[in-house]
Amino acid sequence: MRHIIKPLFRHRMMPMLVVLQVALACAIACNALFLLQQKLVPIVSPDGVGNPDRLIVAWNIAPRGQPWPTSRLDQVATELRGIPGVTSASVAGSWPMETVAQMNGNVLGEGEHAARADAAVYIGNRMVDTLGLKLVAGRDFSAGEEGVTYKGIGIDASGPAIITRALADRLFPGGDALGHVVRIGDQADSGRRTVVGVVEHLMRNQFGQDNRENIDYSMLFPGIPSNWPMPVFAVRARSAAEVDAVLKAVKAAIKRDLGPDMIQGIDPTYETYGRLRGRALAQSKAAVWLLSGVSLIVLLVTVAGIMGLTSYWVQQRTRQIGIRRALGARCGNILHDVQLENLLVVGAGILLGMALAYAVNLWLMHHYELTRLPWQYLPMGAALMLALGQLAVLSPALRAARVPPVVATRSV
Amino acid sequence: MVCFERSEAFKQRSGWMFDYYLRLALRRCRQNLPMVGLLVLTMAIGIASCMTALTIFQALSGAPLPGVSPYLHVATMDAREAVDKDNPDYKRPDSLLKLADAKALVDAHRAAQQVAVAQSLAQLGNPDGGKSLQAYGLMAYGPALQTFGVPLRYGRPWTEAEQSSNAPVMVIDTHVAQKLFGTDDAVGRSVTLGQRSFRVIGVIAPWAPRMQIFNLGQNAGGVTGQDENFFVPAQASLDAGVGPFTSGECGKDAPVISFQSATVAQCRWMETWVRLDTRAQADAYDRFLAGYANAQHDAGRFAYPPHATLYGTQAWMTLNHVVPDDVHLNLILAGGFLLLCLINVAGLLAARFLRRQGDVAIRRALGASRRDVFVQHLVETGLLGLVGGVLALPLTWLGLWIVRMQPVSYADAARFSPGVFAMLFALSVAVGLLVGILPAWRVCRQPPALQIKIA
Repeated sequence: MRHIIKPLFRHRMMPMLVVLQVALACAIACNALFLLQQKLVPIVSPDGVGNPDRLIVAWNIAPRGQPWPTSRLDQVATELRGIPGVTSASVAGSWPMETVAQMNGNVLGEGEHAARADAAVYIGNRMVDTLGLKLVAGRDFSAGEEGVTYKGIGIDASGPAIITRALADRLFPGGDALGHVVRIGDQADSGRRTVVGVVEHLMRNQFGQDNRENIDYSMLFPGIPSNWPMPVFAVRARSAAEVDAVLKAVKAAIKRDLGPDMIQGIDPTYETYGRLRGRALAQSKAAVWLLSGVSLIVLLVTVAGIMGLTSYWVQQRTRQIGIRRALGARCGNILHDVQLENLLVVGAGILLGMALAYAVNLWLMHHYELTRLPWQYLPMGAALMLALGQLAVLSPALRAARVPPVVATRSV
Repeated sequence: MVCFERSEAFKQRSGWMFDYYLRLALRRCRQNLPMVGLLVLTMAIGIASCMTALTIFQALSGAPLPGVSPYLHVATMDAREAVDKDNPDYKRPDSLLKLADAKALVDAHRAAQQVAVAQSLAQLGNPDGGKSLQAYGLMAYGPALQTFGVPLRYGRPWTEAEQSSNAPVMVIDTHVAQKLFGTDDAVGRSVTLGQRSFRVIGVIAPWAPRMQIFNLGQNAGGVTGQDENFFVPAQASLDAGVGPFTSGECGKDAPVISFQSATVAQCRWMETWVRLDTRAQADAYDRFLAGYANAQHDAGRFAYPPHATLYGTQAWMTLNHVVPDDVHLNLILAGGFLLLCLINVAGLLAARFLRRQGDVAIRRALGASRRDVFVQHLVETGLLGLVGGVLALPLTWLGLWIVRMQPVSYADAARFSPGVFAMLFALSVAVGLLVGILPAWRVCRQPPALQIKIA
């Protein structure tokens, strides 16, 4: 071991440069990969919506002046249900992947030390059928429950609710959430919602920097929000072949019924949920490409750097290696020595890099809305860098191992 | 005189040496092309990624209205007149005021210039109804053009008398003038807005703040500023049935937001902007604002303690996250990446130089000073940096093109400009010299005798 460590201190520049490179690459890669993971969350998480290409969503239907009366919205929804080829139609206050209108709130479970969660709220009619959600417990809202008339938006009102399994597990860790009450906010007069059903998944529609935990925290309330200027209509087509015809009919019906009172200069958007989802996630996807590209190039540059420096370092010591070979060291010994040396240098770089990665993360957390780097990234990053270091050193180490003993007798 | 001659001779010698070093560097670069290629490519990628992030950052930083916005401030206060259960603690400063409050602040004339504005999206038509277009514009109470420094092409802004008599006058930009009348100089013509006909009294050049500054509370991710195609006195516009695009809450049991309504007497929808040239003026205005707001609260109009605060344009934009964090994060990422590339290239250069210690030893033995060796190697790395910069040019262009293709809100900002080119040139030379310093210093440090021995 000593014969490896000592020269490192005698010729400091080369090992120093490797240490610095590894440390910096480690810090960049850890933080970039953490950002990448966060951006991936909405892309890879299940949104719970069945057959996204048969679901047609109409939004940006804002009225000039006073919000649409709920009776008028209900009437349009009924009309949409009558279109041939439509199996289910909804009118709602907000919709998954439609980020212009959002309802969110802090909701609480029961008891003194109730669990809290930041959840999205979707208020609308027949949403379970139209979205194609999968009920895993309980039931859908009854016709009576759907007929409720809210005084305001409805987010503060009490009544029944359907929540996602993730939210149920969070608020009621004991198990069955059915029949329990979710409080919408911690005020004394906050709304209280009794859980009547649990769905497998339903994605929230407000994305922050870090949604790893709360991406699937959503609630459904029945009824139509009143005093809400941005309603969303959605219809489900019976088959893929009928989508185009249904979309045309939906467009015509909404334009006929609400068109004259819509805001001017901004047209409603009609598209399938699949396309809506694609557009909503496009920015995250772009960021994923960027971050993965950067991480890859960072690692490539580091590998190239280690390789270049180690080959020079080996070449410099050709004579010493020859002498060692002449004194009885075998090819394997030389190979392992060079590899061990790389392990030590890269290891030192990783230690420095971990500290740096953490410091950078703290600084970013202080200045931007970022969350703490999970500790799992550090060992994972370390293993990755060690593996890359060994990969980079393989070719120079093999060259060193091939130095014949006779070199010791040459030159000078 | 002697001194002059010496320096002249020195200049000549150094010029000649520079030329020699340059030829030497070119010759040496040809010796190991793959290695040189790797060095140059690494530098080019580092420079290009940094330049791409820097270009976007630069386009989105700086004053939204150069020369004007550094002095502009927006008034914020909790002016809600009813108790709001969902947001009792006024988490985010709110700039929207009722017209009555906005008028009171403007009419107080406590600042150098002041105006209350709200954005409108309205249909403009020519008198015979033959041509029309949807346009964004500002409804204003006060001298909007003067306060925001909007350059007039023809005509004049509206007078205080016209404003107080609710005269139907407006200012349009050349884009609207061309669309409706086929000419830039539309002063004196009539434009139909809502139910009334407005007389054009001024024409401005197309004008937009570089970034979003108006109604940031309701801004859904917009970064670059909106073209304001017309300016119209607020009351005259309301009289014609044209209201703001959005208005904040309109009292108890009313929606949190409504669109294009002209019945806004009960709504908060105007922002008050004031121009304050000095710190002392800003402090004085802050006190005036707090005094006004507290008086309203004491009189029972405002339901909550008003927390009246004056925000400078930049602080207001930062508070409302106009420029997305991603822009800053990408710049930090690119900066870190460039640093990594620099260390990488410095290491590879050191290896490259030290491999040729023999050449250096001979030059040193023949009388070259350390300084000469140092400069010779710096010339070589500077040259490599320059080549890297040349290579980075198309790469930066490619990077910006890729960003423009992305569905990001700041895609418009990713444009190549001469400033970017100058920055790239400076950066690449700096990079070339910076990476060369350590290896060049290392190679000239050893005494000649030792170098010959090593060789």
